[in-house]
Amino acid sequence: MTAEHTGIGVALVLAGVIAGGMVVLASILGKKYPTPGKLAPFECGNEPIGLPMGQLAVKFYMTAILFILFDVELVFLYPWAVLYRDLGVLGLTEMFIFLGVLLVGFVYAWDNGALEWK
Amino acid sequence: MNGPSVADLGLLIPELILTGMALVLILVARRAQGTALPVVGTVMAAVGAAVAAWWVLSSEPQSAFAGLITIDGYAQFFKVLVAAALALVALLSVKGLEGKGVPRSEYHVLLLLASTGMMLTVSAVDMVTFYLGLELITLCSYILVGITVDRPKSNEAAIKYFLLASFASALMLFGISLTYGLTGTTSFSGVAAAIAERGLADHPLQLAALALIASGLAFKIAAVPFHAWAPDAYQGASTPVAAFLASGSKAAGLAAVGRVGLIAFGADAPALSTILVGLAALSVALGSVLALAQTEMKRLLAYSSIAHVGYALMGLIAGTPEGASATMTYAFFYVFMTLGTFGVVIGLGARGATVDGYQGLAAQRPGLAAVMLLFLLALTGIPLTSGFVAKFIVISSAVGAGYVVLAVLAVVCSVVSAFVYMRIAVLMYMKDPEAPMPARLPVALCVALAVAVIVTLVGGVLPGLVTPWAVAP
Repeated sequence: MTAEHTGIGVALVLAGVIAGGMVVLASILGKKYPTPGKLAPFECGNEPIGLPMGQLAVKFYMTAILFILFDVELVFLYPWAVLYRDLGVLGLTEMFIFLGVLLVGFVYAWDNGALEWK
Repeated sequence: MNGPSVADLGLLIPELILTGMALVLILVARRAQGTALPVVGTVMAAVGAAVAAWWVLSSEPQSAFAGLITIDGYAQFFKVLVAAALALVALLSVKGLEGKGVPRSEYHVLLLLASTGMMLTVSAVDMVTFYLGLELITLCSYILVGITVDRPKSNEAAIKYFLLASFASALMLFGISLTYGLTGTTSFSGVAAAIAERGLADHPLQLAALALIASGLAFKIAAVPFHAWAPDAYQGASTPVAAFLASGSKAAGLAAVGRVGLIAFGADAPALSTILVGLAALSVALGSVLALAQTEMKRLLAYSSIAHVGYALMGLIAGTPEGASATMTYAFFYVFMTLGTFGVVIGLGARGATVDGYQGLAAQRPGLAAVMLLFLLALTGIPLTSGFVAKFIVISSAVGAGYVVLAVLAVVCSVVSAFVYMRIAVLMYMKDPEAPMPARLPVALCVALAVAVIVTLVGGVLPGLVTPWAVAP
């Protein structure tokens, strides 16, 4: 392992210590006044634990999938924007093809009522 | 090695045609639901892709996208074959998609995208593109198997297929990463060069990588002992989907085994041959024997396809270009005869689903029975059908490479499989009909059957029309 890998190790350890430390500290030092409202799942759609009865609200998943569509688009756009000049016309063409494909998927979802909150 | 340029996209015209049609069908999905547009569009795109695949290859093999894919005779051959399989499956799909409310447009989009994945796989010369292509096939196949959502069997099959196939994909990816770790490259030729230069052929990690990649690929083509998913998936899936899995997917998987085996792990020949001999012998033997016990047509054809993959793999054992062309010819003829058989099964509807349903078919529909008989003879490997030519060249290739025992086993199993297929023929011709007269076949189905009949007959009499095109990578 070379010196350049040390940085990754340091970052890993630091991230672990900071994240773990905050959780531990909060659980030791923090004051707890639990109410049913606070204990309920927050912004997560449905109950995380429960008997598999009844129906799940599919609309949450629909929204999540649509979100991922654009999330992936952004993830892909960033490195492209950084290397835009080096990639030249090919990069531009391919990005437009990619965006076009994504757009078609979005239109399909829209057309089939995925955006209607019913 | 040149960097990628816009002109490289020109070499991907077959894939672009299929993807373009898929995008169009997605856009009009809701409006095209009850129309013939999905079928017509898919068949047109498949024909266009076949013509483009033919036309793109000028003379010399060309490499594109910084050596990620290549367009050579091998890729061209399989692209045409994949396009043909796609067109036939699209025609077969006019009937036999059991279950209510199958979204027609989406179904054909998935067929198109899976075929795009097959085309990418057969022209990939880099582990990453290769894996990407294979995953595109399987991802679409999962949904295709489970597309009849109102049938519990179909859901069950899709889940089984998904769990097992994703496990196999992970194994293969692990093998690819081991190879990359050892050789420092993902390109097939780079891997081969590194193995040869640094004497890695006997390295334990390299052998592990080879075994992992081989098991992943064996899963995709359903070779024994990685076959367990196939009968369940075929049975649960709608018949056209099963036909697609048995034809196009198999052909692309065999092409993948061929290219990886010959190019990337050519230096690993002894280890690879051992693996392939094991896969081929087990597939041929178990596939033929287990098919004997089946009473459901789709399960029977699943075991039959397992046996046929075993025969096809026999060509690759030698690791020679001649052997690879034998496998290519086998894949070509096999696709048409198996699609033809599935076509008859679809045409007979509910009656065609079980072996007993064929009882007395010759008295009721002599033409259809004759067509079925032709495909059964071809699957058995009787002379004057393409099945005989295909079996003859792979078995003689195995004999030429010195695997006489395997060749004898293959011939014996061929006789065993004759019982499987001739049982249906006997039922058709020597029993009195019990079931009512089957309905007339849709025109599209007749067209698909006619194409399969022509290829099976002409291939059996004049195999020289196909074999010159089967050039190894």
